[in-house]
Amino acid sequence: MTQSTNENHTGLSGLLNKICLSPLGLLGIVFLFFLPLVPPFNQDYMIRWLISGAIVAAAAISFDFSAGYLGIVNFGYAAFLGLGGYTSAILSNTLGISPFITIFFGALMAATLGVLTGIVSLRLRGMFAICFTWFIGIALMGLCMKWDWLTRGPLGLQCTPFFESNSSLPNYYLILAIMLLTYLALGLMIKSNYGLAFRAIGQNMEAAMTSGVHPTKYRVINFTLSCFFAGLIGGFYAHYYGILTPELMHTQKTVEVLVIAYIGGRLSLWGGIVAAFPFIFAMELLRSSLSDLPGINLIIYGVFLIAIMVYYPGGVAFFFKNLTSRKIRRKEMQQASIAQ
Amino acid sequence: MNNSRSIKAVEWLKSSGGITVTCTILVALAVSIHKGPYVLVNTLVTGGMWALMAIGVSLLFGVMNISNFAHGEYFMIGSLTAYYIMHPLKEYLLETPNSFLAFITPVLGIAGATLAGVIAGILTDKLIFAQLRKRNREGWLLNCFLITIGLSIILINLHMLIFGNTFKGVVNYWDVPSLALGDVYVSVDRVVVFFIAMLAILFFWYLMMYTTLGKKIRAVAQDENGARMVGIPVNRVYSTTFALACGFAALAGGSLLFMFPSYPTVGIAPLYNSWFIIILVGFGNVAGAVPGGFMIALFQVVTRTYMGEGWENVIPMFLISAILIFKPYGIFETKVRSVWEQ
Amino acid sequence: MLLKVKNLNAGYGFLNVLWDVSLNIGKGEFVALIGPNGAGKSTVMKSISGLLPPKSGTITFDGQVINNQDCAVNCRSGLSYISEELNLFTGMTILENLEMGAQMLEDKNKARENLDFVFELFPRLEERISQYAGTLSGGERKMLAIARGLMSNPTMVLVDEPSLGLAPQVTDEVFNALRLLNRQGLTILLVEQNVTKTLKFSSRAYILEKGKVVLEGPSSELITNDHVRKIYLGT
Repeated sequence: MTQSTNENHTGLSGLLNKICLSPLGLLGIVFLFFLPLVPPFNQDYMIRWLISGAIVAAAAISFDFSAGYLGIVNFGYAAFLGLGGYTSAILSNTLGISPFITIFFGALMAATLGVLTGIVSLRLRGMFAICFTWFIGIALMGLCMKWDWLTRGPLGLQCTPFFESNSSLPNYYLILAIMLLTYLALGLMIKSNYGLAFRAIGQNMEAAMTSGVHPTKYRVINFTLSCFFAGLIGGFYAHYYGILTPELMHTQKTVEVLVIAYIGGRLSLWGGIVAAFPFIFAMELLRSSLSDLPGINLIIYGVFLIAIMVYYPGGVAFFFKNLTSRKIRRKEMQQASIAQ
Repeated sequence: MNNSRSIKAVEWLKSSGGITVTCTILVALAVSIHKGPYVLVNTLVTGGMWALMAIGVSLLFGVMNISNFAHGEYFMIGSLTAYYIMHPLKEYLLETPNSFLAFITPVLGIAGATLAGVIAGILTDKLIFAQLRKRNREGWLLNCFLITIGLSIILINLHMLIFGNTFKGVVNYWDVPSLALGDVYVSVDRVVVFFIAMLAILFFWYLMMYTTLGKKIRAVAQDENGARMVGIPVNRVYSTTFALACGFAALAGGSLLFMFPSYPTVGIAPLYNSWFIIILVGFGNVAGAVPGGFMIALFQVVTRTYMGEGWENVIPMFLISAILIFKPYGIFETKVRSVWEQ
Repeated sequence: MLLKVKNLNAGYGFLNVLWDVSLNIGKGEFVALIGPNGAGKSTVMKSISGLLPPKSGTITFDGQVINNQDCAVNCRSGLSYISEELNLFTGMTILENLEMGAQMLEDKNKARENLDFVFELFPRLEERISQYAGTLSGGERKMLAIARGLMSNPTMVLVDEPSLGLAPQVTDEVFNALRLLNRQGLTILLVEQNVTKTLKFSSRAYILEKGKVVLEGPSSELITNDHVRKIYLGT
């Protein structure tokens, strides 16, 4: 009886399952694709909000990749975003290369720092790792502030935009593509044996080691990938906004991503996407409609984070999983009663 | 007897802790000679307060396993309260001079700040952490860490929303001439603040070692179930711990108002500092926080003096990262570690 | 009846360990709870003491239902629990541990009396009064845990596996102390694996298997029971 409730790996859903999507997920992507063409959402400021949502969603995916699965909260995540952004912006400014190419250099730069951080912080766990990544982040931000010959410091660095047009629509599709790329790449990673190893290390490092999983390799791989995508997203951020200040590397940005990742739910990459769009959209709406109350959206952020942690630590993903498992259980019971 | 003690002393000097302490003292002396004794004064004034902050963070972790990333916000609450007590009183004093009131104003401010911190701490525990304790203790460490982040965002933005994004500070506490130590002039404020820090640390040490309350706190820290088995009201001890830790942070905030005017993110730097200290001396080492506070303060003062404003967060960061990698137990080789790695 | 447990169901998470366990213990009795590893003996103790809230059933102590009462409150009402893990304050001295055991007593003279009493019971503790609990040997720790549990003037103690990991002479010492306490009027519920010795010392016993009470009766009868002889005594 339990076999019949297992997911069947045939047809379209089986094919989608292989690339970490479900029919519902595909529907969601199609929905996001057409959303900015539908009337209330086709105004430019609405598209800009959607872009903010997509940026945070993509960041939350790659954040959860190391925080959820490996249990290493990268508290300096925003600094990796910033490193990718600055590298890309400086390269395209000085060498005159198209930002479409330089964002990958930015990503590589962030990945390099990710490798270094991963190797150096190998012995650290839990709070130690959090503190270490946090300090790396603060130090990087401080460097960006002080090296104003390179980054122009708090004045802000001009970045060449991706597109000449005034509309934000192409940018939206670009970040949507980046988001999907992040999700698919990391999702495939999770589906492979690597994902199992990550989870094993995240749950109990000693047990994983005694069963032959070498933490060094997996931790470095995980961290590198997560940072690579952070750099990519940071590159998009830079060229999309057109100006880059060290503020991007502030811990507050990490917190923004972290809140979304945890509202979305640990151990679920898609939870970040589901949480990010409505949440960021609502935040932006709140910010613009209550402009006489600065910071009210951030207060709501904080309240949400605390409420989720106290009352529902599993997040949105847990809610969905609960829902489906309840459905399965109900189906099982029905079948059992029929069999009787 | 005497001989073995001196051998022990030499051994300690050779350990990493001894070397660091010695180096710190030497550096302090060298810099004071080179740049004037004000470096030393600044170090002493801020170091004591950073030590207080670090004691609070260490205490919260040791007793409740909460890594408090909102500790700087209690510093902010302290400085804000002190400002709103001192500023109106000082305005009033301008019109109607009154020497007794002038004397008592800073005392009131600092005491009020401490009280505000205590109340805020108790509220935090009752409203948030007591709820979490009741509901689930799974993944406690990470949940608490995230909750304190949320708390920090809320408090910072509430400050901005209600009191505005301005610098709210007072120039000095007491309008009295500076003390002259030889040819060095030190303002009375700084001397008093230094002594407040020392008194608070002494008070804390006495409380933890010799009073029943302190013993209860230690008992809960060492074995929560054991504490419940002997009838210690654990929840009340937790609230007390929170009150104590946050009270210290607010005391630091109120006392340093003349150096750090209150504004929404004033707590960030003290928060960084307290984490530096904790990593420097080893996680969970409450006693080590005192020398650690002075070391970090000296290090920052020296960086600022020689490299300029803004570097004092960058250079220590690299040093601390190095300590984290090469000496994860801290320079005093603290052995309380396991819980931090969950 | 001093302690009355009726249809207790308890467990960890979704897993149920105890199934309708009922116990009755009168004032001044020395009752043993025996059974194989994993039968749920310690779970019974944890549920009664209040460390583990039961899923259903009622626990009455001294006429009051104490089902969801915190362990600390139970301790105040005279139910002392000495756990298998001992839960000592390892970073505190023996004296401080004992002081903590008596911290809920209002009367400080009474606390001093109790201190003298436990030192009489376990003279070895007095010799090491300022030694840290973490540096004690296994037997001394056990003594300290029992002594700490007695410091609060309990009317009943729950003792979980006092002989675990102890040398036979030390076990005897601990058991003799328990018998002495019982003769002075203290009610004791003892969980043990050392069946022969337990049945010799206790007045009545319950046998717990797979989370259910399978046998109960006076210890002298149980020692001759076929089931007990076959499974626990190996004769």
